[in-house]
Amino acid sequence: MSDALLLNLVLWLPVAGLLPLALVRGNATTSRLVTTGVMLVQFLMALLLYGQFDGGDLALQAASNVPWIAEWGVAYHIGLDGLNILLVLLTAFLGPLVVIGAWRSIEKDVALFHAMLLLLQFAMMGALVAQDLFLFYVFWEAMLIPMFFMIGIWGGARRSYATIKFVLYTAFGSILMLGAIIYLVWALQQQGGVPSFAFADLLQVALPEQVQIWLLAAFVLSFAIKVPMVPLHTWLPDAHVEAPTPGSVILAGVLLKMGTYGFIKLGFPLFPDATRLFTPWLMTLSVVSIVYGACLALVQQDIKKIIAYSSISHLGYVMLGLLSLDLAGIQGAIVQMVSHGIVAAGLFLLVGVIYERCHTRELSAYGGLARQMPVYALFFVLFMLASVGLPTTSGFTGEFLVLLGAFSAAWPQHLDGNSLPLWLAIAAVSGVVLGALYMLRFALTFLFGAPKAPHQPLADVTPREVGVLGVLVIAVFLLGLFPDGALRKTELAARRYQAQVMTSRVPADAR
Amino acid sequence: MPDNQILLALLPEHLLLLGMLTLIVLSLGRRGVVTAVALGVGSVAVLGAVAAAFVLAAQGTNASLFDGQLLVTPGVYVTKGLLLALSIPVLLMSRTDFEGAEFPLLLLSSLYGLSLLPSAQSALVLFLGLEMLSVPVYALIVLAMRRAESAEAALKYLVLSGTASAVFLMGIALLYGTTGSMQVSAVAQAMTMADPVATTALVLVVAALFLKGAVVPFHGWAPDTYEGASVPVTAYMATLSKAAVLVVGLQLFQGVTVQGPLVQLLAVLPLVSIVWGNVAAMRQDSLRRMIAYSSIAHAGYLFYAFLGDPATRSDAVVFYLVTYAAGNLLAFAALPPHANDVSRDALGSLDGLFRHRPIAAGLMAVAMFSLAGLPPFPGFTAKFLIFRTVVAAGYPVYAVLGLVGSFLGLFFYLRVVQRLFMRPVAEGMLPAAGQPMLPGDGLSRTAGVLCGVATLLLTLVPGWILSRV
Repeated sequence: MSDALLLNLVLWLPVAGLLPLALVRGNATTSRLVTTGVMLVQFLMALLLYGQFDGGDLALQAASNVPWIAEWGVAYHIGLDGLNILLVLLTAFLGPLVVIGAWRSIEKDVALFHAMLLLLQFAMMGALVAQDLFLFYVFWEAMLIPMFFMIGIWGGARRSYATIKFVLYTAFGSILMLGAIIYLVWALQQQGGVPSFAFADLLQVALPEQVQIWLLAAFVLSFAIKVPMVPLHTWLPDAHVEAPTPGSVILAGVLLKMGTYGFIKLGFPLFPDATRLFTPWLMTLSVVSIVYGACLALVQQDIKKIIAYSSISHLGYVMLGLLSLDLAGIQGAIVQMVSHGIVAAGLFLLVGVIYERCHTRELSAYGGLARQMPVYALFFVLFMLASVGLPTTSGFTGEFLVLLGAFSAAWPQHLDGNSLPLWLAIAAVSGVVLGALYMLRFALTFLFGAPKAPHQPLADVTPREVGVLGVLVIAVFLLGLFPDGALRKTELAARRYQAQVMTSRVPADAR
Repeated sequence: MPDNQILLALLPEHLLLLGMLTLIVLSLGRRGVVTAVALGVGSVAVLGAVAAAFVLAAQGTNASLFDGQLLVTPGVYVTKGLLLALSIPVLLMSRTDFEGAEFPLLLLSSLYGLSLLPSAQSALVLFLGLEMLSVPVYALIVLAMRRAESAEAALKYLVLSGTASAVFLMGIALLYGTTGSMQVSAVAQAMTMADPVATTALVLVVAALFLKGAVVPFHGWAPDTYEGASVPVTAYMATLSKAAVLVVGLQLFQGVTVQGPLVQLLAVLPLVSIVWGNVAAMRQDSLRRMIAYSSIAHAGYLFYAFLGDPATRSDAVVFYLVTYAAGNLLAFAALPPHANDVSRDALGSLDGLFRHRPIAAGLMAVAMFSLAGLPPFPGFTAKFLIFRTVVAAGYPVYAVLGLVGSFLGLFFYLRVVQRLFMRPVAEGMLPAAGQPMLPGDGLSRTAGVLCGVATLLLTLVPGWILSRV
């Protein structure tokens, strides 16, 4: 089977899965089985693609390019490169785990729920593999709809509010990005004569600096809301808290990465001159996100909120790495995206496990769980350590490389008299300490001390839960101990990103 | 020009006429029989006209009729065919509110006027077409008489629409006075003249279109009229009547780049319309009123396109009209029938629709997402086209303002979807066991499925329309 066909199958399989789902007519267990099957097959195919992906080749791999709306140069153009290959694998990897992990947490409208899961998987995968800006935008926005239903139907008490807030927040950024996209494509048409939405073509457009600033501002708004970066983060805690467990897992595991992926794939390379102008501001915001997110996580009483704010903090590292423009920093950012996807998914699943048993998210309601649920506690500690960034876990690889990159990029600038990056890098290190602090506080109250829980007796994790969490733990250590494979597949793409952002694209006569 | 050419080139219109004559004869028969047969005759006539239009388009028919009063090209036929096809769901959903042959008869005569518009090349034919389209609608509004407000609605529509016609006539009279021509090309001529009378003429014509198309500040009649009319008539007014106004605009401004003081008129009022329509729609609790305000906002997007380059404008407007109409018709077709017209319409009665009519709820949600312009639904592609035209004409700031205005609309569409899926079933809406289906329910469902299929096609192959209009 050719690679291109395989990638198309990976993308469209969830949609095909809707048909058997419709045929079983609402039978809960069959719906779950069908969805698990579809997701597993998708994961295996994605794994195959990952294996065949050649990190030594910069060209788009497994690509298909078919005209869609030929009049405006819109094409169904998908493919894999070093920037999306790991995220495609992550998305496909989390798919089956989410379904199996949520086996018991969704009891209402089970078939509809799994249909939404499949649609969401389709939209996320589509946004990752799209190589055409129109197609990307369609998938990017289409992600909102299944998530809107997921939070709105199966969410907590304030689901109505949270789901509208989620959609309106993210759609606001996107609508301005749409304006920028229209302008960008029009500018391309002015220069090249032929309308095209292909990333490769758009990366050639020469734009005056002033125009780049406006366009990048629109893209930044859209992506920064999705990441989310402080001060645009306020939708995230609400969405996370109200979303059902599988919704939270996908939100933290994949959806948030879409923002950082947007930056590395589109935002920064498209407007390199504006990016260099924005760098001090965006870097400051990244570090503020790291520190502020961690500080907020430190004082939360709701266990889901702790993890939600920790996500803001961890994604700040990704942004810092991308902005450092140092190879180690960029690669660290890519690894950190994947690592956070796995670790946050694990933590939200753990929260889901305890929530299913006790139906409260109040931290103070729990204590001494280690004694009653030893296996659960073991998993909790493992994910906590990965989140903190202990060496040998994936969190260490990502954060260490990011900080390494941030410092090695900051030092020459410091010698040139610009000390801001250095101070920001130092401040970012404090985030690691704060990260350890809030996770340890969480674990201390949660696992140790006098045993208490709102529901007695507490059953330890079931074999199904052990399986799901075990697989995630294996992934954490694989990425922590053997990051070389992943780094090799992404290195060339990271270098190209670095070169793209370093090269000016202001038209020659306007310089 | 040989007579048989007229016979052939205007075949869609002739088929509509034939349908009307048959319906007049038929209406003499017994009421019970008439109702069923009349709908069939009406549908067959419209389907025949649609088919004729597409066949003529495929054959590449080009003709100039009646000394250049009418011009038909394949693109004109496709527009005609698409617009006429959109009336089929209206016919199908009429069974719930109407009996007898009157509804199909009046609808067909209104469609006859609509069908003339895309081919009209003189201001007079445009005026005639617009009047032929509107007059039957006054009657349609009072005909159902589900409640006292219907008469008020009809009167409001009559007065406002009559005023608009008068303003339009005044505009074309002034146009004739300054340019000496009744052809649509007079607009292009007037646009380049520095003469204040020519500018006044253009402003009057645009104002008349805004009044008929319900653009702020000429929108006051729309919510009351839409609310007072029965569901199929509202669906017709919100979609095809609006489309007719835009087609008149397209015909008048064909090949004309808008410049001078008209730019402000065509940018600011539609923009205000977008914002006001979307904001006011948030406060409504009746579906028809909400759709009325939403259609005020949509009129804003549509007139925005007139800022753009004339070559891309008609693509954008026709595509937008078709997707917008499909979305609106889908919403009305999915509305469950109810013995009480007022509670049928209340947004509250949509609560938990998914629990008892999952397919209708799904279709209604698709309609809302499409009207809101969320990808992947075709409403997004349509908005994209409009704003691309505006940007390409060199008005990026207006485009961004319009986009932000369209964001305001997201909220109330999402609220409807929330009602459908995320609330318990509204009281009194659950059908009691063994209760027979209300008349026309099945036909409405068919209309909904048809519009759903149309929406799917517009999502997957938007290029088909764009390459042919």
